[in-house]
Amino acid sequence: MQGLIANLRIFLSGAVLSYVALFRWFEPIRYVASKIILPLNQILFFTLLGTFATGPQTASFYAIGNALQVAAISGIYGVTMSVGGERWEGTLIYLFGSPANRFFLFFGRAFVHIVDGILGVVMGLAWAALLLGVDLSQADPLAMALVILITTASTCGLGLLMGAVSLVALDTFFVNNMVYFLLLVFSGANVPLQNFPEAVRTFSYMLPLTRGILATRQIVAGASLAEVAPSLLGEAFIGALYLALGYSLFKSFEYFAKRRGRLEAM
Amino acid sequence: MNRSTLRAYLRVVATVFLLHLKMQAVDLFVVFTVLIQPLLIALLAIYIQRDKAPDIAIYLIVGSGMTGLWSGLLFTSSFAIRGERWYGTLEMLVGTPTPLGVVMIGKVLASVLLSLSSMVVGYLMAAALFRFTLYIMDLPGFLISLALTLLAFVTFGLVIAPFFALSPAVEGWVNALEFPVYVLGGFLFPILMLPGWSTPLSYMLSPYWAAQALHATSSGSGSVYPNFPVALDWAMLLLFSAIYIFLSGRLFGMVLRRAKIDATLGLQ
Repeated sequence: MQGLIANLRIFLSGAVLSYVALFRWFEPIRYVASKIILPLNQILFFTLLGTFATGPQTASFYAIGNALQVAAISGIYGVTMSVGGERWEGTLIYLFGSPANRFFLFFGRAFVHIVDGILGVVMGLAWAALLLGVDLSQADPLAMALVILITTASTCGLGLLMGAVSLVALDTFFVNNMVYFLLLVFSGANVPLQNFPEAVRTFSYMLPLTRGILATRQIVAGASLAEVAPSLLGEAFIGALYLALGYSLFKSFEYFAKRRGRLEAM
Repeated sequence: MNRSTLRAYLRVVATVFLLHLKMQAVDLFVVFTVLIQPLLIALLAIYIQRDKAPDIAIYLIVGSGMTGLWSGLLFTSSFAIRGERWYGTLEMLVGTPTPLGVVMIGKVLASVLLSLSSMVVGYLMAAALFRFTLYIMDLPGFLISLALTLLAFVTFGLVIAPFFALSPAVEGWVNALEFPVYVLGGFLFPILMLPGWSTPLSYMLSPYWAAQALHATSSGSGSVYPNFPVALDWAMLLLFSAIYIFLSGRLFGMVLRRAKIDATLGLQ
């Protein structure tokens, strides 16, 4: 019981403190710029680009896809920086030296970003409805809530994997930007998956977000929870897979770092 | 300014240009911003425009190249002086006899020229990967447009650099300024798609006139005034360059005041 309480404490304090450590985002102006203005403009840009090509009737396709893509701002940038930041701030050595449960410690880095990401997606969908006329009246609220939760969490799973990679990568921002834009291109947020060649489509289905975006479009069109359940399960599975991969990498980096005595420069 | 001073300034510009070009070319953040991101945007635009893409390929390449030019200019120029502050070299730079603005010309010129590579790489990708037939409708006009675009962007960079150094409060807005200019500049779709109230905002941006001139001369599209397609665009680019030169002179004066009289520049 005591162990569980200690683990929960580590999980919660790690979750909150790692988010606070990204203190710049707590300045209202930075938060507004990064989490409200940037997503809004991104949704507008890609929706206009899409409707220029395919007509105004497709606005909802692009608006929904890009609203869901907002999850990646918290899931990829936020989570990666929370994990990778330990290396750059010089605190990795203390983290690896502590007896804390590694899973709670690792997963805790993503927790607040999941909540933040959900807020971002909700705001993105609100922009889509208010500014681009996306009709959300047919959407089942429970199904919508579940798809947002699962998609944001699965994107954070990829973020945790990238966070582990950033412990050894030369440039964290390069990794972050690359993954973020690959999601933008290949997750189906902006391009119908059938437009891609078969091999690229297979790659798309290996990414988080892809099934979540498909499910959201179906829900907005009036699909029930039961109809989108397979996509949601797939999205959850992909997220769990990335989380497991990230955790394994994190553990192996710790093992090799300790063996080689190169904690700060693995 | 006499001839020997001018020669000395040009030598500084050339030295800073080469040094900055080398530094930027190996900076992965810059490489992503000016090379990979526009390439991915071009790829996205090609897949979105799937059926029309072969016919408007040059429009997409130029438009996505413009996104690279703007992002490169925004991120590198906004960091041009702040970067010196971070490295602890700002005071030394301000203390040298060469004006800070002259040093910054070399830095911004290197960034803008490096950003141009996004258009070249996009062109190569469209030709090699998608086998599109690409040709520029009016090559001399396009080259003149490109030269004026470079002038307008370099002078714009000379406004951005001191502005961000003077206003730490707006530093947090850098990321948020990237996409609005993609939209208002009409890089990849005409601004006619935007609500009417935003049109004056587009007219106040030199990237808009640059995109107009480059699109009109490369693919014949995007011109609002068909009778004299690029003359107005060129005139506006020259006008904005003159305004930016005037503004940057005032802003650099304020930067020097902060550095030399108030002694607060390095502390922000």
